[in-house]
Amino acid sequence: MVTFSSNPISWLGFLALAAGAPLLNGIVNILKARLSGRLGASVLQPYFDLMRLAQKETIYSRNSGFITRLAPVVVWNTTAFAVLLLPVGPFPASISFDGDIILLAYLLGLGRFLQILAALDVASSFEGMGASREARFAVFAEPIFFFTFGSLALVTGRFSLQSIISGIAWDKPLFPIFIVVSSISIFFLMITECSRMPVDDPNTHLELTMIHEVMILDASGFDLMLYQHAASLKLLLYAFLVTSLLNPFGWLEPAVGVALVLGVLAVLATCLAAIETLMARFRLVLVPQFLLYATVIGVLNILIFTFSH
Amino acid sequence: MIGFFILGLILHAAAMAMPAMLRDDRLLNRAVNLLNALALMCSLLFSLNSLLASQPWELRLALPMVGTIPLSCDGITLFFLFTFQLLSLAGSVYAIGYLEQYVKRGIRIRWHLVSFTLLIISMQLVVVVQHALAFLIAWEMMAVSAYFCIVLEKEKPEVRRGAFWYFAATHASALFLYVFFILLHDRTGSWKFADFARQTGWDAGTLTLLLVTGFLGFAIKAGFMPFHAWLPNAHPAAPAHVSGLLSAINIKAGIYGIVRMFIFFPSDRQAFGWAMLAVALVSAIGGVWYALAQHEMKRLLAYHSVENIGIIGLGLAVAWLGRCVGSPDLVALGLAGALLHTLNHAIFKALLFFGVGNVHLYAHTSDIEKLGGLAKALPVTGVVFLIGAVSICGLPPFNGFLSEFLIYKSFFQGGGLMGGHAPLALLVAAVSLAFVGGLAVACFTKLYGIVFLGENRSKFPARFGHEAISSVTVLAGLATLCASIGFVPGAALRLIVPALGEMTGLPETRLGVELIAPLAGLTPVFGLLLAMTLLTLVVKLLVQKKAGVRLRETWGCGYRNVTARMQYSASSFAEELVKLGQPMIGLKLHWKPIADVLPEPRVFKSHGYDQIEQGLWVRLDRAIGRALMLLRWIQSGNIRHYVVYIFAALLIYLVIAFAFVW
Repeated sequence: MVTFSSNPISWLGFLALAAGAPLLNGIVNILKARLSGRLGASVLQPYFDLMRLAQKETIYSRNSGFITRLAPVVVWNTTAFAVLLLPVGPFPASISFDGDIILLAYLLGLGRFLQILAALDVASSFEGMGASREARFAVFAEPIFFFTFGSLALVTGRFSLQSIISGIAWDKPLFPIFIVVSSISIFFLMITECSRMPVDDPNTHLELTMIHEVMILDASGFDLMLYQHAASLKLLLYAFLVTSLLNPFGWLEPAVGVALVLGVLAVLATCLAAIETLMARFRLVLVPQFLLYATVIGVLNILIFTFSH
Repeated sequence: MIGFFILGLILHAAAMAMPAMLRDDRLLNRAVNLLNALALMCSLLFSLNSLLASQPWELRLALPMVGTIPLSCDGITLFFLFTFQLLSLAGSVYAIGYLEQYVKRGIRIRWHLVSFTLLIISMQLVVVVQHALAFLIAWEMMAVSAYFCIVLEKEKPEVRRGAFWYFAATHASALFLYVFFILLHDRTGSWKFADFARQTGWDAGTLTLLLVTGFLGFAIKAGFMPFHAWLPNAHPAAPAHVSGLLSAINIKAGIYGIVRMFIFFPSDRQAFGWAMLAVALVSAIGGVWYALAQHEMKRLLAYHSVENIGIIGLGLAVAWLGRCVGSPDLVALGLAGALLHTLNHAIFKALLFFGVGNVHLYAHTSDIEKLGGLAKALPVTGVVFLIGAVSICGLPPFNGFLSEFLIYKSFFQGGGLMGGHAPLALLVAAVSLAFVGGLAVACFTKLYGIVFLGENRSKFPARFGHEAISSVTVLAGLATLCASIGFVPGAALRLIVPALGEMTGLPETRLGVELIAPLAGLTPVFGLLLAMTLLTLVVKLLVQKKAGVRLRETWGCGYRNVTARMQYSASSFAEELVKLGQPMIGLKLHWKPIADVLPEPRVFKSHGYDQIEQGLWVRLDRAIGRALMLLRWIQSGNIRHYVVYIFAALLIYLVIAFAFVW
């Protein structure tokens, strides 16, 4: 049964996440700047960028058609809708039903589909290159998501995101290891899906080497704002998935839970910043290997868990 | 209501008689197809009404010499009948516009129209007759009439070759089915399906043999891998309306057969369920991966049919396993996923093939690398093809998502019910389905992006209006169906409830609560998504109106003289993924490295080929050919020898008759 949360805080939580998403980007950026010895822009810089973009004139390619105009809207809405399926803190998710994890993955897939098409719409070879890479890496990224949440669904015997999370029990033996390793899988996934180092370099200025950024080369104005905001929302979505795997509100005081969530978010931001400071981008051929490692971690995880029971 | 079905058959007969009466091909094309469409509307009225009222129907046809032939429409038959009729209707209307070009080119279409009508009739008969001999006759009629439909342009060698693949495969399928049904007859002493289902006390060996021959027979027809080689060869050979129907409904006759097998046999063979799961997984992954390597639109879509048949097979396998563990809920869930995907795949695959037909009419090629920017030249096809592509990838909020959702759900529910290593195996299946989904997205972004977006890669005559009214109507109708099944899944699920009820014995109310209600709950979810999207779109347009919109060149990284040939090509788009599939996916590269200081012009070509087709079937065919060469001496060409053969054969029969019969 599909449940729409009757608690207004669930829906307000969604708005708070949407509003707070660029902040996470700002924090990662400033941490990265500090780690590499720069002063860095203010944490609010992403907000200024978004506001600037929203006011700018939109320039469309002469080659483009309806896809270019439709895609930013679909990309933003599918990402935002996926966030609606997340339980926010101790409150129920805005929308929850058996199998909503599948809808979550497939909504992101729909956004990706339109994003790839928008890249192919402008008849540019560079953007086609980015589109091809995005499609290729998604092929290996999606199974990781299903492996992690599928095994959680089997282990807990539940099938909606909210009930899976509340079904995670820390007192059972082996569960902590299982959860921690699952979080690592999701972290790998976050790096890939959100185009962070070492899979993609969000700050590069060479079109040939980019993935996500090259696909939106011809986007501008309000469209670009939607793309950028959707990207930061996606980062927050995956970060939240990692924190919710710890099920902090199931076994802790709410205040401690909030502190734990914020702490984990901070750790994730630091990890992202540290990786981006210390590592160079992978050669593109290595990315599928990287994702296969993440899958193998997931496989070993579920194998250990099932055979030890 | 049965009157409407009979009226439909009479109208079909009238359509078949038309070529004798009308001289003008153009008029004939319209008359036959419109009569068929009218006939199908009548019979749709029957099947839809019976499905919604859950009203099975039965008739015993007493024939001289053969005895009674039971014709019946239970829930399973009605569901397939409905699917076949709906898509045949779409195909008939589409054919009106599509066949026009053949009339213009002076190609005779009278026999094509007759065999097309015969195909539609025999497809309906296959599911209605409940008698093994009648079934085999209808099956052969279907196979032969489809063959004649494919060879419309028989002067082209590739058409003859593709049609022969179909012909050989369909008879290999029939061969196994003959063995299957004769064995069944031998054990039960009857030809009637109802008696097969009643039979109990199978001995292990016979049951295994029956399951294997039956599955092989139906799997070849359905196009499971590795029996799929005929699909990518036959589909490009056929005209678009026929390839649409081949993929949408003809291969589904194989699925119908497998569903019937569920009813014939007892439910204690878990191994069969697992084997089916394995074959289905191979088909799903292999089909989509091969599709990625194709440059020809119809070939690509044919491989996607293999993939989707695999997805249907996954649902069927879970349903079979559900029977083995005695859980009617699991059977209902798996079968619901499989049947809904059967309907969904029929709708969007017909839509995609008809779309390719329009592309072919406009550009006279279906080579992806030569096309581009067609969304501007063919506006309706451009939009509906996108809807079809999104649906076939299983993305929400369209119909493909719902059937894949049910199949995912059945995996997890099955994992919870079964012990041992079953949960792990089903988890692997679920993850593989996600992998298939990712590959499908890669494949359809390639297809749609290269063909419909960007700029023309070769010069086409700049003419518009190449979308005939009949084809636009059909395409828009099918796209609407994709969207409405996606948004209002409850209505489509009503159509499979009678079949599920028969298979599981669960009452309809329970199925309604367990199966329909959770999916029907998705309607407001998708409604909210749509409302949010529309709202954002309005906001975006308002903001852009204020801030201004300009048109400029695409960013070429500073390079000014960008041409259409510099766009990313389909082979480059798919190259890395295809390479990863080596050596399972065959890929041939033709090029020479540059060696000298002043290099000559170079050529680079790549094309994918089918390892299973070349390595298994073509090789098997050659081996059989070589073995038969040993018997060549029998065919001496001397008439006296043949007379001796006839005499010898007669003698042998006589000896047998005297020795054993008397």
